[in-house]
Amino acid sequence: MSDAKPEAIRAESITKTFGTVVALNGVSLRVARGETLGILGDNGAGKSTLIKILTGFHQPDSGRVYVDGRPVSLNSVDEARALGIECVYQDLALVNGLSIYHNMFLNREPLWGGLLRLLDHKTMRRRAREALAEIGVAVPSVELEVGQLSGGQRQAIAVARAVSSNARILLLDEPLAAMGAREARLIIDLIDRLKSRGDIAVVMIAHNYAQTLEICDRVMLIQHGEVTFESRTAATSAEELLDIVRREYRAARTA
Amino acid sequence: MTAPGGVARRAYALLLRPEASVVVVSVALIVYFEIANRNFLTDANVQTLSQFVAAPVIIACGEIMLLICREIDLSVGQVFALAPFIMENVHDVGVPVPLAIVAALLVSALIGLAIGLITIKLSIPSFITTLGMLFLITGLTLTISRGYPANTEGGPVLTGIMGVWGYAEIVWALAIVAVMHVVLRHTRWGLHTTAIGGNIVAAAEAGIAINRIKIGNFVLTSTLGGLTGLLEAFRVGSIDPLAGGSNIMFLGVASGVIGGTAIAGGAGTIIGGLVGGIMLGVLQDGFTLQGINAFTFDIVIGAAILIAMIANIHLARLRTIGGRA
Repeated sequence: MSDAKPEAIRAESITKTFGTVVALNGVSLRVARGETLGILGDNGAGKSTLIKILTGFHQPDSGRVYVDGRPVSLNSVDEARALGIECVYQDLALVNGLSIYHNMFLNREPLWGGLLRLLDHKTMRRRAREALAEIGVAVPSVELEVGQLSGGQRQAIAVARAVSSNARILLLDEPLAAMGAREARLIIDLIDRLKSRGDIAVVMIAHNYAQTLEICDRVMLIQHGEVTFESRTAATSAEELLDIVRREYRAARTA
Repeated sequence: MTAPGGVARRAYALLLRPEASVVVVSVALIVYFEIANRNFLTDANVQTLSQFVAAPVIIACGEIMLLICREIDLSVGQVFALAPFIMENVHDVGVPVPLAIVAALLVSALIGLAIGLITIKLSIPSFITTLGMLFLITGLTLTISRGYPANTEGGPVLTGIMGVWGYAEIVWALAIVAVMHVVLRHTRWGLHTTAIGGNIVAAAEAGIAINRIKIGNFVLTSTLGGLTGLLEAFRVGSIDPLAGGSNIMFLGVASGVIGGTAIAGGAGTIIGGLVGGIMLGVLQDGFTLQGINAFTFDIVIGAAILIAMIANIHLARLRTIGGRA
């Protein structure tokens, strides 16, 4: 089914080494618009390196990345951002002491007053409210300081910021880590709504198998820098994924 | 939410703001000093009070910007002393006073630029950079002046504007407060200064030019320090190599912190610096009128600063709880 949708981002045979450590060894992935791909794997398996290559933070030793079917070179975070690729980190993204609307427009603030170049707080507030409403994030007021929000709300604000800045390929780094059930539900619902818009591709790194299977259309397992399993979520289960991981552990121990 | 409830909540939120509590304390102090000493609210004393207030408030405008982005300038009081001598020396070689003032401000700005570049490019904590600068500039001022005071020059209009007219300095201070309030609250510069102090990683992620903003705030603080030194020199009519110093710097920092600027960065207001400066000025002037011993005076000022800061930190906590509820 996902094959019918236009491709948003594709990576082919990405290899990346740090000194003698092979972080990624020929990893490929493909995500369509309106599709959500979950990447599972242990710490140090290469998930974060992969994300950092897609955001332009690291450059691959070999392999290619395509956006909308065209080959691109992601030499910096800015270049990736210009192509609509944005990564949302759970706690790094927002300034707690600033209001929601200031955070949402940080460094791309609308201005007024001609040469005086004053901040257009009114437009920011209105557009922040619109952007949040558009993806269904409810907050009491956009004037609240981000530090007064819960972890889930903060994550939602960060996602809303990325979407409102025209991100069309959204990379989520552990979006559900350290969240209670209610908080996690907030983000799961948000990702669902993004999916139903149809124009945004989501790649999320996660640890929790059950949640990932619930949210994503497809899952991918990365182990020792290689993709060891890939499937539509409908065609697999948490048990199957766990089995593969256990088998790998046993193989590693007897090796 | 009913309208009266909303009004009450807004009033409560306003009272919890650090500036508001300082205003309440200041008004209480003014009432006390006026009752204790009928001379407090006379024109002559209000003028004296305004002069106590002006210098720390102008310095505070710079220090608040620095504190918000997690920096500090300990040497601003030394630039305060140096700037009038630069003016004097430039004037002595035949440059008209107005241009000599500009030259003094330029030198002040360059000192700020040097502090900023050393701090940022060499990754030295500004506490250390400016501690070094503090001694360096003191030595420079003493060398240039050979340790002797000098007289200020200039026509009556210029010297009037620059501080001889009794309310000139407070007018300068209020104008600078107005401009800096707009800069902090209504420009990208101010917003980005706050963002840097609040979460430097997030600020960098958003593409904010962190170094440019920090260096700019060092330049701003030094320039304001130089300007304050010039104003005080014109007001008194003489230039003292030992003027300003750490005392004026700490009064500026204390004004900001009493007014709610967070030492740890990320939060603060210029208006807070103004009301903090007013409170310190009222204390200083009121006690002087009362004829309190200078030794006792420092004890009282120190205690007042401590109490104001403790109150502010606890009010900030209450405010956060109020926001969550």
